[in-house]
Amino acid sequence: MNNFIRLIKNEQMKMYSQVSTWVMLIVIALFVIGMGVFFKVEGILSEDSAQSGENWEEQLQAENEQMQSEIEEEPGFASMNEDTIAMNQYRLENDIPPDSYDVWDFVQENRGNISIISLITIIVAASIIANEYRWGTIKLLLIRPISRTTILASKYASVLVYAITMLLFLYVLSFLTGSVLFGVASPGEPYLFMKEGEVTEAPIFTHTASQYLLSSVNLLMMATFAFMISTVFRNSALAIGVAIFLMMSGNTIVSFFADKEWAKYILFANTDLNQFFTGSPVISDLTLGFSVTVLLAYLLIFLGLAWGFFTKRDVTNV
Amino acid sequence: MAETIMELKGLKKSIKNKPIIKGLDFTIRSGEVFGFLGPNGAGKTTTIRMMVGLMRMTEGDVIIKGHSIKSNYKEAIKHVGAIVENPEMYPFMSGRKNLVHYSRMMPGITKERIDDVVRLVGLEKRQKDKVSKYSLGMRQRLGIAQALLHNPSVLILDEPTNGLDPSGIREIRAYIRKLAAEEDVAVIVSSHILSEMELMCDRIGIIKNGELISIQSVHDAIEETDEKEILIEAEPLREAEAIIKKKTEGIVTVRGEEVMFTATREELPDIINHLVAGNINIYGVTITRSTLEDKFLDLIGDGAIE
Repeated sequence: MNNFIRLIKNEQMKMYSQVSTWVMLIVIALFVIGMGVFFKVEGILSEDSAQSGENWEEQLQAENEQMQSEIEEEPGFASMNEDTIAMNQYRLENDIPPDSYDVWDFVQENRGNISIISLITIIVAASIIANEYRWGTIKLLLIRPISRTTILASKYASVLVYAITMLLFLYVLSFLTGSVLFGVASPGEPYLFMKEGEVTEAPIFTHTASQYLLSSVNLLMMATFAFMISTVFRNSALAIGVAIFLMMSGNTIVSFFADKEWAKYILFANTDLNQFFTGSPVISDLTLGFSVTVLLAYLLIFLGLAWGFFTKRDVTNV
Repeated sequence: MAETIMELKGLKKSIKNKPIIKGLDFTIRSGEVFGFLGPNGAGKTTTIRMMVGLMRMTEGDVIIKGHSIKSNYKEAIKHVGAIVENPEMYPFMSGRKNLVHYSRMMPGITKERIDDVVRLVGLEKRQKDKVSKYSLGMRQRLGIAQALLHNPSVLILDEPTNGLDPSGIREIRAYIRKLAAEEDVAVIVSSHILSEMELMCDRIGIIKNGELISIQSVHDAIEETDEKEILIEAEPLREAEAIIKKKTEGIVTVRGEEVMFTATREELPDIINHLVAGNINIYGVTITRSTLEDKFLDLIGDGAIE
């Protein structure tokens, strides 16, 4: 185990000795801070902020009445408005005033940047083995008293460590930026969402943290996929290309085959685990257990292929 | 006492049913420098890759200190330090960090050991610089440092003098001789340049088209040949030529300030005595040892690769 940690230390040392790793961190930082400053300056949030005030109860009641009348005039609005009405009702009953835009809203907003981290992690995962071949260092790496399986495992673990570092960086940075620009708020602040037609409440910290983790499922799968492709073909450009293409087109692929019996076995039908916690699944017969099983199966296939090629193949010049 | 460190047993490799290495058998003992000589494409690098487990062997085995590289890889590779082809390092890290990197992959390498190795190859002053700023010679030295970190019993260097300038080649040669003599390390050096191998090695194995066609000790190779090409710088040149012509049967030619002829080692003192007796001033005697090279070329043929 000690040995394994030394290998991961090696991989991290190599990553952070490269300029590109730091450039990627700076890109994320620019996105987060830039977005915060933009929101603040443009005042996009003023409308939201107006909601809060002394007389929030009256406002909510007024809003509900207006929505109710909309439904009566135009039944098409029903599904959209009913959720809002239910949530407002819940606030009134439990005495939870709607909060103004604060740090937690900003942290939630930054969840979108996970797709940037996905891109970066795909690049790292696709390069971590292919680069050793490109640099020729693979030969010196593999003539040590360490099995190829262990080397491969340490490389994969290092990709995960990198992804987690990036996610933490994003979370902490958006929290700090949000706190400075939009004011600090308690991590216990309640967050309301609809689950199976019921209004549900959760502490905002738990909610955002779990949302970040669930949004990373896609990241994990695509990074593992890129890792596999680059290990099999020893070509990082190919791996990055295919992985990013699939990541972008995943949802399209699912909806294209949605009416097929086997659609639920498509990787991308299962990558959004958020749907089981804070909403309703798109394909109705999907369950959390089923999705997790499918994801694990894909993961094992990817890693198995990478392992098979990496451990069995002769090391020659690319 | 010299013990057998590495043993190749009927080593064969076929790629896509085409035999590349057609059965190699030889042993390498501690404290000896073994030269692995052959034209490009003869299978030197493939053999070295199999020795260190980078390539699978189709048949046969490599035994290092009693452990099979095939069935007991970790134990066998522990005793091996190697550079396979070019000494490729991580260019974006310092030489020192590169060594730290490899030291983490092997048990029991202390900071002091890294210092020692850096000193041995003379990189103390440049160890904090990035490898991308190193010259090829410095990279080669760093490669050797990397291979020596764990005090290996056998050091495998694939074309260690490739791309080095003459002073760099001399340095490397001195390191290799020193390691073999002082640390009792078995050193395997591959090259396609014979003259280099003659100066560095105790024994040379000549490989051609995946077959070992000859193993000979460098010392033997020079002793067993009789006729040597001799150059004598003398004055007056014409008279010297006439005297030499009387004493030898071969062709005697005049080239520049020198007389060139062939003679055996035994004949030489007599010829010189006659020259001196004939009042010829001798400024220099040069014996060219081109015989091993001739032999090598004979063995290799036209250097054709099948």
